[in-house]
Amino acid sequence: MFKKLMGAAALGLVMVASGAMAKETVVWWDFLGGGDGVRMKKLIEDFNAEHKDTIEIQGTTLEWGTPFYTKAQTSAAVGEGPDVMTYHLSRLPLGVSTGTLAEISEADLEAAGVKAADYTPASWNAAHIDGKLYAVPFDMHSIVLYYNKDLLKKAGLLGDDGLPKGLDGVDNFTAALKALQAAGVAQPLSIHDGAGDSMWRIFYSLLGQEDGVFFKDGKFLDGDNLDKAVKAVTVMQNWVKDGFAPAQVDYPASIALFTSGKAAFHINGVWEVPTMTDLKAKGELFDWGAIAIPTFFDHPATWADSHAFAIPNNKGKEMTPEKKKAVLEVITWMNKHSTFWATAGHLPAYMPARDNDEFKKMQPNATYAKLADTAVYDPVSTLAGVASPVYDAAGNFLMPAVNGEMEPQAAMEQMRDDLQGQVE
Amino acid sequence: MRRYDRTELVTALILIAPFVAIYGLLFVYPVAKMILLSFTKAPLIGDGDWVGFANYAKLFKDRLFTVAVWNTMYFVLLSVIPSTILGLFIALGVNRLKGWMQSAVLACFFLPYILPVSVVYRIWGWMLDAQFGILQYPIEWIFGERVPVFRSLPLFMPTVAFITIWWLVGFNVLLYIAGLRNISAEIYEAAELDGATRAQVFRRITWPLVWPITVLVATIQLILQLKIFDQVYLFAQGGRTDALLSLVWLVYRDAFQKNQGGYGAAIAVVLFALIVLVSVLQYQALRARGEK
Repeated sequence: MFKKLMGAAALGLVMVASGAMAKETVVWWDFLGGGDGVRMKKLIEDFNAEHKDTIEIQGTTLEWGTPFYTKAQTSAAVGEGPDVMTYHLSRLPLGVSTGTLAEISEADLEAAGVKAADYTPASWNAAHIDGKLYAVPFDMHSIVLYYNKDLLKKAGLLGDDGLPKGLDGVDNFTAALKALQAAGVAQPLSIHDGAGDSMWRIFYSLLGQEDGVFFKDGKFLDGDNLDKAVKAVTVMQNWVKDGFAPAQVDYPASIALFTSGKAAFHINGVWEVPTMTDLKAKGELFDWGAIAIPTFFDHPATWADSHAFAIPNNKGKEMTPEKKKAVLEVITWMNKHSTFWATAGHLPAYMPARDNDEFKKMQPNATYAKLADTAVYDPVSTLAGVASPVYDAAGNFLMPAVNGEMEPQAAMEQMRDDLQGQVE
Repeated sequence: MRRYDRTELVTALILIAPFVAIYGLLFVYPVAKMILLSFTKAPLIGDGDWVGFANYAKLFKDRLFTVAVWNTMYFVLLSVIPSTILGLFIALGVNRLKGWMQSAVLACFFLPYILPVSVVYRIWGWMLDAQFGILQYPIEWIFGERVPVFRSLPLFMPTVAFITIWWLVGFNVLLYIAGLRNISAEIYEAAELDGATRAQVFRRITWPLVWPITVLVATIQLILQLKIFDQVYLFAQGGRTDALLSLVWLVYRDAFQKNQGGYGAAIAVVLFALIVLVSVLQYQALRARGEK
C-alpha cells in the first residue's frame, strides 16, 4: 500500500516536472516603437501571464524598416532567426523571394483554428504570394483625415453629427479649403510633403479611387494608368500651388501644424491617433476627429498595409511540432485580443475583434473602420512595399511634383521609367 | 650575424600572434571575401554565379554611381579643408586662454563631438525646420522667405557639410592644442627678442611646427568624409535621394535594400581603392611640402 502511494506520488512528481519542462519559449521580434510598441508590450505581458505554465514569449524590439528586414533575412539564412516576427504585408514579396519566410500550411491553420473568413479579404489576399500563405494578418493601417472640429464649425463644414460634411469630390474639397481660409485659417491643410513615403500613401489612395493600376504583369503605369496617375498628382500639387498646404513640410512639423491649430486638416497614418488621444487627455488639444480619406474620384479607396505575423524560414533549424503549436497559439491569441491593439489607431485584421461593443465605442477608430472594405494594398512586387525602390522613387519624383518642382506629367513618366529600369 | 636569437623570435611571434589572428579573421578575410563577392551576382546572403567584371562594367554605366562619386567628392571638398583650418584657428584662440577659462571654452567646442549623429540630426532638423525652426527668422530676414534647406538641392550638401564641421571640429581642436603645447616657449621668447611681429611668429614658427598635426588632421578628416553616410542619409531620407546619394549610401542601398550583394560589393571595392589612393596621395603631397 505504502509502496503504491509512493509510486503514485513519484508519478505525480514526474508529471509536474515534465509539465514544467514542456514550457515552450517563443522568441519574438518586432519593429514596434512608439505608442504601438507600448501597447504590444502590454499584450505580450498579458499573454505570458495567461500562459504561465505553458508558453513564454521573449520579445525584442528592433529598428523599423530596412534594418529590421536585413536582420530578419541574415538571421534566417544562418538559422538564428526568431520563432515569430512582425512583418509588413507589403514587404512579403521581397521576404519570400529571399527565402526568409516559411510557408504557413493549411494543416497549421486548421490546427490553430485560423479561418480565412475571419479576416478582411484585402489583407488575407495580401498575405499570400503565389497562392501560398506566408503571414497571418494582425491589423490594417491606413491613412485618415484628421480634422479640427472648432475650425470646421467656424467655416460651416461640421455636420450635426460632429463629422465634416461635403468633402467628397475634388471641387468640393477645394471649396472646403477655401471656406476655411475665409474663416481665417491661412493654410488649412497639413500634409507631410517633405517626404516620398507619405506622399505615396495619398497618391496611391487617389489612384485607387480612379481604379488606376500602378504595377501589373511586369509593367509600371501601363497605358492610361499614367494619365490617372498624373490626374492624382495634379490634385495634390494644387493643394500646395494654391497655398492651401505649405510646401516641403517635415514629419514632426506636419503633425505640429495640426496640433497647434494652424491647419484644420491633416492627412496622416492612423498610427498618430494615440498622439492625438494622449494630447487631448492632457487637455492640450482641441476637439478633434478622424475620418476616412474623402472620395476625390469615382469611389472610395484608401492605401493600406498590414502588420502581420510571419515565421522565419530558419535554415538548418527545423521547428519542433511543439514549438510550432506554441507559435500558432501566440498568433491566434494576439489576433483574438487585438481589440486592445486598435487603441494604437490600427484596425484589427481579425474581424471578430472589430465586431464587439468595445471597438464600436472606440473613437475615432469606429468611424474610419469602413475604409477596410475599400482598402488598396501596395503593388505585389519585390520593388514595392515599405522602404522599397517604389518608396525611393516617390521621394525622387512624386514628392518634387507635389511641391511644384516638377510637372506632374514629367514626374510620372520619369517615375515609371526609373522603376521599369529596375525590373529584372 | 643574426640580430635576434631563437627565443626572442619565438616570444615575438607568440606576442603578435593574437593580433595577427584577429586582424586576419576580422579584416583580411572579410576584405578578400568582399573582393571575391564583387565578381559574382550574389544576393545579400549566400553565394552567386561568377560574372567576372560584369558588376564593374555595370558600375560605370550606372548614373547613380556617377552621382554618388561626385557627391562624395563634393562633400570632401566642402568639409575637409574648412574643418582643418577652423580647428587650427579655434585651437590658437583657446591656447591663449589660461586656467579654467581654457578648459571651459575647450569643453564648449568639444561638446558637439560627443553627440550621436541622431541627436545632431534632430537638433539641426528642428533649428532649420521651414515651419518652426528658430534659424528661419534670420533666413526670412535676409532672403525674404523661409527656405526648406534640406529640400533644396543646391543648399543640401553645403548645409550638411557645415553641420558636420560644427559637429566634429572639436576633435581637430584637441589635436591642434596638443601640437601647440609641444612647441617650446623658448622659441617664441627668442622670436620676441628678435622683434618678430605676431604674423611673422605664426608664419615662421607656429605654422611649420604644427605642420605634422595639420597633415594628420587633414588625413583623418579625408578618410572619414570619404565614408560619409549617416548625416546625408538622415537629412535626405524621403527626399530626392537619387540626387543626394553618397558612395557608402549606394552600397547600403544596393546590397541591403535591393538585395544585390555582388553589385554592392563592387561599389565597396571601388570606394576602398579610392580611399587608399586619395589618402596616400594627399599624405605624400602634404608631407613633401612639410619637408621643404
